[in-house]
Amino acid sequence: MAIKKKRSFYDTIQEYFDDMDKEIDRWHEPMIERPSWNHKTSTMEPLKDTRVTPTEVIVTVDLPLTKKTTLRVKPVDENTLEISAQMRRKVTFKEMGITHHEGEFEKFQCRTSIPVPVQMKKIDIRFKKGMLEVHIPRKGKR
Amino acid sequence: MDDIRIVEKESVAPGATMLFGFPDVGLVGVIAASHLVDELKMSEVAYIDSQQLPPIIVLHEGLPHSTIRIFAGHNLVLAAAETPIAADMIYPVMDSLIEWGKNKKVKTMISLSGLPVQERQDMQELKVFGAASSADMLQTVESKGIETLTEGYMVGPQAVMLLRCAQLDVPGIALLAQCFLNYPDPEAAAEVLKTLDQIAGIKVDVAKLLEKGEEIRLKARDVMRRTQEEMSKMKKGQEYDIPVYVT
Repeated sequence: MAIKKKRSFYDTIQEYFDDMDKEIDRWHEPMIERPSWNHKTSTMEPLKDTRVTPTEVIVTVDLPLTKKTTLRVKPVDENTLEISAQMRRKVTFKEMGITHHEGEFEKFQCRTSIPVPVQMKKIDIRFKKGMLEVHIPRKGKR
Repeated sequence: MDDIRIVEKESVAPGATMLFGFPDVGLVGVIAASHLVDELKMSEVAYIDSQQLPPIIVLHEGLPHSTIRIFAGHNLVLAAAETPIAADMIYPVMDSLIEWGKNKKVKTMISLSGLPVQERQDMQELKVFGAASSADMLQTVESKGIETLTEGYMVGPQAVMLLRCAQLDVPGIALLAQCFLNYPDPEAAAEVLKTLDQIAGIKVDVAKLLEKGEEIRLKARDVMRRTQEEMSKMKKGQEYDIPVYVT
């Protein structure tokens, strides 16, 4: 008869935390990653970053090959911004070395969530060398 | 380290300078490496094969290649990666490459990378800093007019390279150009390549790199995105921290 080793209280707790860690990891991993482009709408998703300072939220978006005049920064609601910009020329998969997909891109588009309450009406936009910087003052902060 | 195999396709002459260009902040290293291979017409001489790495290959002109390869040409050896190295694989991968380089009797190891700065968007000129594996090498860096990093944390492949070079008594230098943290930065890659001329007499024309800067930024978005994930896992943000010194 096999002798079953008695598990210590510590082992039980450790196992509980291990299971919890696995569950958290599972929630963080998307089922299938989606591409950063959509050839049906000819759009690419740009790289973006959000930084919160004591007085404002700064959203930066990398928009290479875009025209400044086509840049649109639109609040969708109290904590979401929609950003889009037209490219100066169409970019094809082929010129990026990809031959197994067909399509061309002419626009960047993305939405970004603002993590703290902000004054969306006081947006300040700067655009330099294809890099967009959006400054939004935080609510109740000077 | 036994699980990491370096497969040689061609022999490498001793006395070369070994460079490292891996995906990291601003993709400075990998953009610089890609430009070096292109501009100096370097050819693949070896590659890393390991079951410990994710099952990824990269196809070039229809043929499979490892994502971590070694190129050679002009008395240079360049180890470069086309996808970010997972945080827990940095030590074994770097250990294998450094041991390989030592066996090939390379004279110096130089890592090409970046140093993120928050004000990058407003900067007209980008500084390149140097860090070294020994007091002698630090002096060499300073004597070439390159400002050195004297205190602070360093995270990533270049950190392992410097430590191992110090342990194995191989001259090692890390060149770090001020750059964006989360965005591909071809201008920073150009600056680090210009400094390579200063430190090791390696001349590379960076005009094409700067001219194609926006195309590179567009094309490098996906690699940057994946690099951000790995940088977060390896606590890259610790480079901003102010250390508590134990002397």
